[in-house]
Amino acid sequence: MRYPLETLAYTNRLRDLPPEQKLLFAGGTLLMALLGQPFVQVLVFLWMSGLLILCARIPLKTYGCLLGLPCAFLLMGLLPLTVSWMPAARLAIAVEDAWAGFQWGGWWIYVSRAGAAQALTTAVRAVAAVSCLYFVLLTVPFGQLLQVLRRLRMPVLLTELLLVMFRFIFVLLATAEQIRLAQLSRGGYRGFRQGMRDLGRLIVRLFVRTREQMTQWTLGLFSRGFTGQLHVVSSARGKTSRWFAAAAVAGWMVLLVLEWRLRMGMR
Amino acid sequence: MDGVARFGVAVEDGDAVSQWLLEMEDVHFAYPGSAQTALNGLSLRVPAGKKCVLLGRNGCGKSTLLLHANGIYRPQRGVVKWRGRPFAYNLRWLADIRRKVGLVLQDPEHQFVAATVEEDISYGLCNVGLPEAAIRRRVAEILERFGLLGLAKTPLHHLSLGQKKWVALAGVMAVEPELLLLDEPTASLDPYHEKRLLQELDRLHAAGTTVMMATHDLDLALAWGDWIFVVDGGRLVLEGTPEAVFSQRDVLDELRLGVPLLAEVWQMLLEMGGQEPPAAGANIPRTVEELRRWLKV
Repeated sequence: MRYPLETLAYTNRLRDLPPEQKLLFAGGTLLMALLGQPFVQVLVFLWMSGLLILCARIPLKTYGCLLGLPCAFLLMGLLPLTVSWMPAARLAIAVEDAWAGFQWGGWWIYVSRAGAAQALTTAVRAVAAVSCLYFVLLTVPFGQLLQVLRRLRMPVLLTELLLVMFRFIFVLLATAEQIRLAQLSRGGYRGFRQGMRDLGRLIVRLFVRTREQMTQWTLGLFSRGFTGQLHVVSSARGKTSRWFAAAAVAGWMVLLVLEWRLRMGMR
Repeated sequence: MDGVARFGVAVEDGDAVSQWLLEMEDVHFAYPGSAQTALNGLSLRVPAGKKCVLLGRNGCGKSTLLLHANGIYRPQRGVVKWRGRPFAYNLRWLADIRRKVGLVLQDPEHQFVAATVEEDISYGLCNVGLPEAAIRRRVAEILERFGLLGLAKTPLHHLSLGQKKWVALAGVMAVEPELLLLDEPTASLDPYHEKRLLQELDRLHAAGTTVMMATHDLDLALAWGDWIFVVDGGRLVLEGTPEAVFSQRDVLDELRLGVPLLAEVWQMLLEMGGQEPPAAGANIPRTVEELRRWLKV
């Protein structure tokens, strides 16, 4: 079975770059996005998106859908920031702040200028930061991510847990899909109530199947000589790319200079 | 070993001790919580350097037997020996036996550990305790030998079943076991992958590994095996060369196993008249090509 997001991480054009470089780049840019001026943040977003779509060849549609998810959350969160209300009698106080509004009952509901400005800055920062994270998600395969964590001497227990969890997400999904197909083939999921009952049965069966699989997997693990550690060795990392490093540093310089000049101009 | 019909000689006279790799003497074992015993006084000796087949119906105890061979299960009665010395069920000894006895399970998912193919192959080597540089070298060798270089960095769940079984075999062979055990290796493999697997097993056998596979595929046992063990109800009932074992039609019918297709066909041809066995003692053609050679126009 293939999962689009995960497949992209393995098939994009930037996959052969050393993961450390990609992570360092994304981390540094993220820092700038979080601390910088809105204009710089917009540039960060454009830069990351450009890299993903043009260099890594991530399909525009996929990227758009992926961005859509945090944007939906953003919209829900920003609405309370922008919209305000107060009793109509006290309208005179708010009139400077209000951008547009209407009366409803004894209340005046309006879009506040200050609120809108704040919402905009928050939105820009959030989208810029998310694009940095998507850079990591879409160009660094999970296996490579784990390698980096091991090299950074992350506690062995955590890396082993991550390794096992990663393997078993897919086993779990595949098993759930099998059970669902079997149910469908046997006439299940007809109507909402029946569907809910079938879903319940799926979950129970999933638990049982997972437990059986874990027992068998334990046997397999011991057969391979398990001595208490899930230690694995990955092939040597790719060569550090000079052009990528140069481009990253150049970009950072541009952003930093811009940031500095904007702050100077503001004072 | 009472009650076992033995046909043929597994090993020539000589130093008997060094010629049996694995011995199981009167092994009894029941799974905890189960009323039925899985192994009921099983006694079996695996000869070194042969291609052995463990034949039996579903539920006859084949998988349980294999899991005794690498010390995962411990017999409740009876002894298991490696090269004449009884198993010592301590951690160090078990780690050692699991390097010497490699087990490939029926479902490859049950023995995958890592995220990618090359990492999974390295797992067994890490357990052996080799230095990292040696592990990398060995993994590269194995990847090349099994033609997996292109798939080295692929995540395991992107592979087809045939590829997964191949990777599982590669992972077990990485530690160079002396005895390779396979539980139903050709189950759910298409003809191409089955042929490829058998060719690889032949190559491993030629290079010195003793191979034993558990299966219920009679035709495979006839075509591939040098020495057959027939297991039923948790004990060994029949043992010998394929031609000899599959001539015991009555016994095999009683065990509800039957005989391979080629045996039936050859028997039919003999009854129809006009055919003769090419030599004394050769009474079943093992492959279609052999049958073709034996047929008289």
